[in-house]
Amino acid sequence: MSVCTGILVSKHCVLKRMEDSSKEEYRIQSFDMETQKLLKTALKDPGSVDLEKVSNVIVDQSLKDQVFSKEAGRICFTIVQAEAKQSSSSVFRRNLLNRLQQEFKAREDTRKKSTQEWVCLVSFICNIFDYLKVNNMPMMALVHPVYDCLFRLAQPDALKNEEEVDCLVLQLHRIGEQLEKMNLQRMDELFCLLRDGFLLQDGLSSLGRLLLLEILEFRAGSWTLSETAQKYYYSEVTD
Amino acid sequence: MSYTHKYRRDDDCKVDENRNKGSLRWSHCRKRGADGSVRGPQREAESTQSSSKREHRPQRPESFTTPESEGPVSRIRNWGDEVEADEMRTSVRRDMQRYRRRILAGEFVQRERKTSSGSSDSRDSRDSPAPGDIETDETVLMRRQKQINYGKNTLAYDRYIKEVPKHLRKPGIHPRTPNKFKKYSRRSWDQQIKLWKVKLHAWDPPAEEGSDLQAVEDFDFDMECSVDPEIELQYPKSTSASSSLPQDSCTGTPSKMMKLDELEIA
Repeated sequence: MSVCTGILVSKHCVLKRMEDSSKEEYRIQSFDMETQKLLKTALKDPGSVDLEKVSNVIVDQSLKDQVFSKEAGRICFTIVQAEAKQSSSSVFRRNLLNRLQQEFKAREDTRKKSTQEWVCLVSFICNIFDYLKVNNMPMMALVHPVYDCLFRLAQPDALKNEEEVDCLVLQLHRIGEQLEKMNLQRMDELFCLLRDGFLLQDGLSSLGRLLLLEILEFRAGSWTLSETAQKYYYSEVTD
Repeated sequence: MSYTHKYRRDDDCKVDENRNKGSLRWSHCRKRGADGSVRGPQREAESTQSSSKREHRPQRPESFTTPESEGPVSRIRNWGDEVEADEMRTSVRRDMQRYRRRILAGEFVQRERKTSSGSSDSRDSRDSPAPGDIETDETVLMRRQKQINYGKNTLAYDRYIKEVPKHLRKPGIHPRTPNKFKKYSRRSWDQQIKLWKVKLHAWDPPAEEGSDLQAVEDFDFDMECSVDPEIELQYPKSTSASSSLPQDSCTGTPSKMMKLDELEIA
C-alpha cells in the first residue's frame, strides 16, 4: 500500500474517478424549455437579453443542481466572452459576481439550512474561479473567498460529513494548484487542518478519511498522483 | 468594528448597502479597522447578520499585500468592481510590456527632445521616450486608461476608426489617442484628453436627438460639434443593446455602453 503518513487505512471503499465533463457542453438540460432558450440566446446574442436575469437564473440553478454547479462556469465564461466581443461591456460578469458575493456572504446561513445547497455554492464559486479568467489569469477577487469556503469545509463539524469532504477534495483536485500559486500560505494552512483532521479527528467515516488521505498525497506529489497511488485509490485491490 | 457608510448609487449592484467607504481615508497608509487589525481587499462591510464572518477573520493572514492588492482595490467593495479593476490593471501591465518592447525595437521615430517648461507642444506624441523614461505608476496609468476608454467607447470613435484607417491618418486633422505611457503633468494630460475628445465629436452620428449627450464624463457639451456633411446614416449596433439593458447604459442615447462607468476615479 502506498501511504504517505505510514498509517494504514483499511480500505473497504474505493474512490470513483471524477466524471468526464467533456460531453454535453453546458448541461442545461435541467432547465425548463423557456430558460434553455434564454440561455442559448444569451450565448449567441447577449445584447438582446436581460443579462441580469440570465445571471440570476444561472446562480439559482447552481444552488439547486449539483451537476450544474460543477459545470456552470463554462457557460458563464462563454457569455462573458460573447458580451465582450459584441459590445465591449461586462454587464453579465458584473451581475454574476455581485450576486455570487451576496450568496457568499450568506453562506453560513445557507449551510445551516441545507448542506446540499452549501456544497453546490462552493462548487459553483470554485467553478467560476476556474473558468472565468481575466486576461488569462484567475480573478484575484475570488482567491480569498474560495479559500474561506475551503477552510469552512475543513472545520471539524464539516469533516464529519462525507458530502462536505467530498466537495472539498473535488475542489482541491480541480483548482488546488491554481489556488496555491495565488496564495501559498493559505494553502499550507489549509493542509495543516486537513492533516490534523485526518490524524486526530474522531467521527470521520472511513470514506472521509480515505478522501483526505488521497488529497494529502495528491498535494504532496505536486498536485498529481503517482501511478501506485492511483492504483491504490482508484482500483479494487484485495489486500 | 465600526465602519462609516456613504451612500452610493449603484443600480445594478445587488450587494447590500452596508458597504465600507471608510477605507477611502486610508488610501495612503496601511488600512486598519477600528480594532487595529489590518484590513485587506476582501474585507466587506459588516451586515447585521455577518457575525459568522468574524470567526473566519483569525484565519486570514495579517496582511496580504501582494503587488496586485495595492491601490484601487482598497476602495472597491464588490466583486464586480474588483474584477473590473483587476482586468484593467492586467491590461495596463500587458500594454506596458508591449510598449517597452516596441521602444526597444526602435519602432518610433527618434527625435531630439527639446527641454521645455513642460508644455505639451514640445512633447510631440511621435517622439519616443527613452525606455526608462515612461510613466509606470499604475494608479496614473489606470486613471488615464479609464479616460481613454471613455473616449473610445463612443459611437464617434467607432465611426472614426471605420472611416479612417490608421495609415491614412493625417496629423493635425485626425485625432490621435494620447499616449498614456509618456510623462505628462496631470493638467497636461487632462487637457490632451479633452482636446482629443472634442476632435472626435466630428464623427458624431448625424443630427440624432441624443448626439449631444455623449459620454457622461465629457464636459465640453457647449462646444459646437462640426458635423461632417458627407456622413452616411449609419445606425450603430449598440442602440438596441442600450435600450434593452437600461440599468447599465448611462444615458440610453446613441453612445455605446460604457463598461467602466461605475469605477470611481482614483
